[in-house]
Amino acid sequence: MNSSVTSIKLVLLGEAAVGKSSIVLRFVSNDFSENKEPTIGAAFLTQRVNIGEQTVKFEIWDTAGQERFASLAPMYYRNAQAALVVYDITKPQSFIKARHWVKELHEQASKGIVIALVGNKLDMIENGGERKVAKEEAEKLAEEEGLLFFETSAKSGENVNEVFLGIGEKIPIKKPGEQANEQSGLRITDDQRVDLTNSVNGPVRSAGCNC
Amino acid sequence: MYTTERRPSMAERRPTIVAMSAQSVVPHLAGIEDPLPDTTPEKVDVLIVGTGMVESVLAAALSWQGSSVLHIDRNDHYGDSSATLTVDQIKKWVNSVNQGLFSGCYDNAKLYVSTSIGNHNGKYASRDFGIDLAPKVLFAKSDLLSILVRSRVHQYLEFQSLSNFHTFENDNFEKLTNTKQEIFTDQKLPLMTKRNLMKFIKFVLNWEEQPEVWKPYADTPLCDLLVEKFRLEKAQVFELMFSIGLCYNMQTKTPEALQRIRRYLSSFDVYGPFSVLYSKYGGPGELSQGFCRSAAVGGATYKLNETLTSYDPNTKMALFGDGSQVYVTEKVVASPSQAPKDSRNIPNQKYEVHRLTCVVEKSCEQWFSEGESAAVIVFPPGSLKSGNVEVVQAFILGSGSEICPGGTSVWYLSTMQQGSRAEMDLDAALEAMEASLIRESSTDLEHDDSLVQFGPNGETLINSVRLGQSFKQYVPRERIQFLLKLYYTQYTSTPPFNVVDPSFFDINNIDGNGKLIPGASDNGVLYTAMPSGEISYDEVVTAVRVLYEKIVGSDDDFFDLDFEDEDEAPMNKADYENAIEDDEDVDMNVGRHESAEFVGEMEI
Repeated sequence: MNSSVTSIKLVLLGEAAVGKSSIVLRFVSNDFSENKEPTIGAAFLTQRVNIGEQTVKFEIWDTAGQERFASLAPMYYRNAQAALVVYDITKPQSFIKARHWVKELHEQASKGIVIALVGNKLDMIENGGERKVAKEEAEKLAEEEGLLFFETSAKSGENVNEVFLGIGEKIPIKKPGEQANEQSGLRITDDQRVDLTNSVNGPVRSAGCNC
Repeated sequence: MYTTERRPSMAERRPTIVAMSAQSVVPHLAGIEDPLPDTTPEKVDVLIVGTGMVESVLAAALSWQGSSVLHIDRNDHYGDSSATLTVDQIKKWVNSVNQGLFSGCYDNAKLYVSTSIGNHNGKYASRDFGIDLAPKVLFAKSDLLSILVRSRVHQYLEFQSLSNFHTFENDNFEKLTNTKQEIFTDQKLPLMTKRNLMKFIKFVLNWEEQPEVWKPYADTPLCDLLVEKFRLEKAQVFELMFSIGLCYNMQTKTPEALQRIRRYLSSFDVYGPFSVLYSKYGGPGELSQGFCRSAAVGGATYKLNETLTSYDPNTKMALFGDGSQVYVTEKVVASPSQAPKDSRNIPNQKYEVHRLTCVVEKSCEQWFSEGESAAVIVFPPGSLKSGNVEVVQAFILGSGSEICPGGTSVWYLSTMQQGSRAEMDLDAALEAMEASLIRESSTDLEHDDSLVQFGPNGETLINSVRLGQSFKQYVPRERIQFLLKLYYTQYTSTPPFNVVDPSFFDINNIDGNGKLIPGASDNGVLYTAMPSGEISYDEVVTAVRVLYEKIVGSDDDFFDLDFEDEDEAPMNKADYENAIEDDEDVDMNVGRHESAEFVGEMEI
C-alpha cells in the first residue's frame, strides 16, 4: 500500500439528467447497471486511485439536486480542488448550461481549481442517436477556459476512469512533509482542525449521545 | 379528516432481512441515486419555510426518516435568522429590517461600513467576510455534536478549538483558570481557595446525586451556595458563573447554573484541553448549509428565492410567491421571520437580544491561545462603567476562522438586557475591549499627549476622561480602525436562559386546541422559535426533537442512521467497552459516562 494519501474534493456540476451522478456511480462502483450500494458516508462518495507512487482519494460531492432551483450553497464550492462540468452531447441546451457552470466556478471556487468538461452519453451516438454538440466546439471552450476535456459514456464506462486519472495527474500532489500549496489558494491540510470522530479517549462513534 | 397517524419509521422501512439481521445498512440516498424531476413536487409530507438552524436540522431529520420534504427560503442564501452573510448581504439585510420586513423578529438595525470594504477599489472585498446573525459556539460534549457526527454532516465542516475564556474584572481581562493543573499552579490563588475550588468542581460533576448540598439552595441564586457552602471568593464565583457557566446575571438559580457549569467541565478534554469548538467559515450559517445538504442527499427538495404566500389547513394547499402550489399531507413548519403576509398566528417573540457586531482592523492574537483564532470575553454584572446588571458576552474570531481576512477580527457582542439600556452596556463593553487592545498593543505610549476615543462610526474622537484613570498619561500611536459596526435588536420567544417550551409549539397546532383565525394566511402553520441569545447551540436539538415528534408522532427514530464509512475500521464491542473503562480514573471526564450534557434538556 502507498504510504501517503492525498484527498481531493471534487464537485459535480451540470444540467439535470445529463448523467452527473451516473458518471460518479460508474467510477466509484465500476458497475453501472447493477444497483450496487456505494461505499459512502452519505457526505460524499469516495474512491481511491493510484497515480504513480501516489494514492489519491477523491471526495466526490454530488449536487444532490440542489442545483435544480439555483439553490447550491457556498459550502458546495468551498475548497473544491476539482470540478466536473457535465453536459449531454445530444442536448445543445445542456452545453449552454455547461458554459454557465464554468463561469460560476471561476467566480465562486478557489483559483487553482482543476475543471474537466465532460460530454456524456457517447453510447447514444454509437447506437444511432444524433450528436448535437460538436466535439470541436467543446474542445474550443476547453482551450479558451483552460479545462480538461473528455467525452464519456457512463453507461458503457467508456472514458470514465480517464476523467478522474486526468484530474488526479493535473492536481499538484502534496509530498509528505510539504506545506500546503498556498500559491494555488488551495488548503490541503489544516493543523488547527479538530476531528470530531477522534476524541482524546478514542473514537466517538456514538459515545456521549443519549439519543 | 386530519390524520396524526405516523408514517413507518426509517427502521421499519428497511427491507426485512436487513432489519432482522441487525446489520447496519447505508440508507438510500434518494437525492443522489434517484432521477430528480425538473419541477417542484406536487405533493409533499412536510413543507419547511426558512433555512435557519432549527429548520435545517429538522429537514435532515425528517428526510432521513423517510418523509418527503420541500424546504424553501425567501432569500437567495441559506441560513435565514442564523445566516452567515457577506458585507453586501448585511447591507441588504439591514435595509430589510429597517423597512419592517422582519417586524416582530428584528428592529433597530444600525450599520456603519468603512470605505475600505468595497468590491471595486476597497482594500477588502465584501465576500472576504462571513458575519453571523446569531453566532454560536459548540460544546465538545453536546447533543448537537453527536448528531453532527452521526449524520456525517461534520464531514462537510471544519471545527476549531476555543480555549480562552476571559473574565473582565477591575478594568482587566483575567484569563480563565479552568484546569486542575492551572488551579494548582496559579500563584495568585491562596491555598485555601484552591482547595475550595477543587471541592466545588468535584461536587458539580455529579451534583444531582448530592441533594443534601444543593437542595437548600434550589430556589436561590447559585452565588449563595458558592459563598456559604464552598466559601469561594467573588473572583471565583464570577469565573464559575459567568465564564464557565456563561450565566446571564446574578439571579441565576442554583440547578440551572450548576448544569451550565458542568456543561463546560464535562466538555473539557473530550477532544483536547478545551471545552468549546466553533465551525470555520461561519457558525450556524455553515451548519445550516450542511444539514440542508444532508437533507437533500436524503431526498429533500430545495428552493431558494421562494416565499410562502398562504396555507389552507382544510385543503392542505400551500401557495407560493411564484404562483406554484403544493399539497402538504402532514405539516407546514415556518420560521417567524418568513411568515406569509397577513399571518396572524406568529407567536409573540417577547424577549430581546441586543447585538453589536464589529469588524476591527486588528488581529487580536493576544486574546487567543497559541495556535487558535478565537476567544470569549465575559463582562460580569457590575463590571462595566454603565453599571450593567446583565452580562455582556463577546465572542471574538480571528482570521484563522476564515470569516475575515488576515489582520482583522470580528467581535460579536450580545446581552440579554431588555430595553434601551442594553445599547449602553454594549457600548461600554466595546469601549473596555478597545481600551484593553490599545494598552496591550502600544509599546511606547509616553510620548504622545492626546487621548483617543472612537465614535460610533469608527471615527476618532479625543476624549481624555472616558479612557479611565489608568490611561491618563498614555496615548496610543496605533488606532483601532473599525471596518464595520452593526447594532440590532433581535426578538425571540425563548426566555433568556434555557429551555425550549414544548407548549410553545402548540399555539397554532390545529391538532391541539388551536383555532382558525378567519382571513389569516397561516392557520395551521407550526412556527419555530427565533434563535435565542444563548451563545451555545444548546437549545437547537431540543427544539428540533419537539417539532419532529409533533410531525412524526414519536422521536424514537430521530436521526436513527448508520452510515458506514470505508475508512472507519469498525471497533468491536469489547474494545469499545474497554476504552470506556480505561478512562474511569480520569476525574475531569466523569461527565463522559452520563447522558449528553446540554442546557436545553427537558422531559417530554
